[in-house]
Amino acid sequence: MTTTEILEILKEKFSVEQFEIQSNIGGEILIVPSNVLLDLCFFLRDDERLAFDSLMNLSGVDLADGEKKKLEDGSFEIVGGHLATYYHLHSFKHNHKLTLKVLLPRENPVVPSVERVWRSADWHEREAYDLFGIVFEGHHNLKRILLPDDWDGYPLRKDYKVQEFYQGMKVPY
Amino acid sequence: MGILDKEFTESNIIITKFDDLMNWARLSSLWQMTFGLACCAIEMMATSASHYDFDRFGVIPRPSPRQADIIIISGTVTLKMALRIKRLYEQMPEPKYVISMGSCATCGGPYWNHGYHVLKGIDRVIPVDVYVPGCPPRPEALLEGLLKLQEKIRNESHVKKQV
Amino acid sequence: MISDQLAEILGNKIIAYLITAAIPLFLFLVPYALYAVYAERKVSAFMQDRIGPNRVGPKGLLQTIADILKLIQKEDIIPKSADKPIFVMAPYVVFMGTFAAFAAIPFSSVFIGSNINLGVFYIMAVSSFSVIGILMAGWAGNNKYSLYGAMRSVAQIVSYEVPALLAIVSAVMVIGTLNLNEISEMQTARFWNWWIFGGPLQGIQKFLLIVPMLVAFVIFFVASLAEVNRTPFDIPEAESELVAGFHTEYTGMKFAIFFLAEYGNMFVVSAISTAIFFGGWQSPFGYLGNSFSIPLLVPIEQVFWFLFKSLSLVLVQMWLRWTLPRLRVDQLMAVCWKYLTPYAFVNLVLIGIISLI
Repeated sequence: MTTTEILEILKEKFSVEQFEIQSNIGGEILIVPSNVLLDLCFFLRDDERLAFDSLMNLSGVDLADGEKKKLEDGSFEIVGGHLATYYHLHSFKHNHKLTLKVLLPRENPVVPSVERVWRSADWHEREAYDLFGIVFEGHHNLKRILLPDDWDGYPLRKDYKVQEFYQGMKVPY
Repeated sequence: MGILDKEFTESNIIITKFDDLMNWARLSSLWQMTFGLACCAIEMMATSASHYDFDRFGVIPRPSPRQADIIIISGTVTLKMALRIKRLYEQMPEPKYVISMGSCATCGGPYWNHGYHVLKGIDRVIPVDVYVPGCPPRPEALLEGLLKLQEKIRNESHVKKQV
Repeated sequence: MISDQLAEILGNKIIAYLITAAIPLFLFLVPYALYAVYAERKVSAFMQDRIGPNRVGPKGLLQTIADILKLIQKEDIIPKSADKPIFVMAPYVVFMGTFAAFAAIPFSSVFIGSNINLGVFYIMAVSSFSVIGILMAGWAGNNKYSLYGAMRSVAQIVSYEVPALLAIVSAVMVIGTLNLNEISEMQTARFWNWWIFGGPLQGIQKFLLIVPMLVAFVIFFVASLAEVNRTPFDIPEAESELVAGFHTEYTGMKFAIFFLAEYGNMFVVSAISTAIFFGGWQSPFGYLGNSFSIPLLVPIEQVFWFLFKSLSLVLVQMWLRWTLPRLRVDQLMAVCWKYLTPYAFVNLVLIGIISLI
């Protein structure tokens, strides 16, 4: 089932004026607003024709489409713009795929957690929180997973600066 | 230069036979704490396996730091792991030695520039005796590192102060 | 006898007897343990297609001596929150359990530490002493992994006493005596008089006994592997499971004493198997001393045969260690209670019936 057909099915339950389809090299991406995300995911999983029972990947992306401000020490900081979360879904029953994208404001990146829909989202969301700072509402245990718990900053953002010392050890070369 | 000549120029003390015996005992039975982190660990396992056997030199792997003499840091050391390595190093009883194997443990390796999570060299945390370069070093290189460590131990003395 | 002469010199019989019995045994135990470790490393190396230690002395023979000297130089760490008196005593208690069992082992017809009529019973009772030592070691380290290792070890040793003793009881029922020296003396002249081949009996009883005795030996051997904490039953000191099990927190000399006790235990168990099933110090085909009529040679030959048989069994234990994978702790318990104990009971009944014929 292609993304356009899936969008036809979604029209029955959701107001799809805000949904957008973006074409990409690997396929088409369905862009959804964050407020309908949780209901949409439950529908995608439970509906018989769609049956997306497997969340293959959940990742964060720093789109870096804000304004780059130069700071005194030569580095730059990004103000405004978006972070995004991508959800790659797959159905074992019907063997079709779907990609969802949610745009979040950079200053306050909050999105509902889909942990209760697919359990595999648990650690993926912790990773996105750890590396981008995206806060997933409703997650039962949102804390850092890869970096140590007392780390400063979110490394995979494009304007991340490496900290000088971590617990007495010098970090940069 | 004979042994006597060497000693008199350095500190006026002759290394006794007891020192030689103790040093020989220490260098012939370096028990290794199994600590493999990344790719270099595979080369360390290859060194312990049949082709290049570590056991010939008396090096057996012991799982507990309390029974080990030497810890071979093999692999990339992240900052999170560095705290644990420090704790394990402190649990080892004296006299203890450290071999830093591979490029990552020596200086951060391929991650020296952009690796925000990598500790650029384990010698920022624990004192290292021998550095073995390579990415990963071949088993022969690791064996040479071990032999250099044995040479270092052979020249140690209970009488002279350690540097 | 030497002991009486020494008693006259010292004026005190107890100390004299202690010296003549304990010192030779200790002087046997320490070099045996040193070379057992070396042998294990070489055997494991040859099985794994590598060469073991060969740098340290000629062919690596001085390896264990270097190990011991190094262990003496190590810093002796006692963890701050450990229970100090128990921590310090534990290795010695384990060693005591092993060394006390050496007293009743029949090395030859003239040298045996203590010729008590309860030989077998005494050895099995005293070697359970090491259970307390292991529990002390695991507890006093104040480390939850050591405690797990110690608990598992206690469960294992205590459970495996049952099939071991049942196997011994079934053998003893036919033999008729618990005295190890007498048991060895019974199996005279030729090797088919050994108990594992039916014993020095005549007629159909002997042939019927061969299979049950073999089963009894196998059950006893397997159960004793568990008593000694050797693979496949070495969960208590398993490397990948529990860091180093109950001796995680021990450094230096105390660790060396645990090692000594382990290898001593291996020898004790092999010695009992040899004495009961394989003829003790009897030679398989008569003594050279008798054929050349040098009577002094006979005890020496007996010691040689005894050590040869016991050390072969020790070698078999090492062979099993490096061949078999380790049993999980629930499988271990299942093997004991669901397999070995019922087989041992059936064997007991069978031997009982046969002995009535």
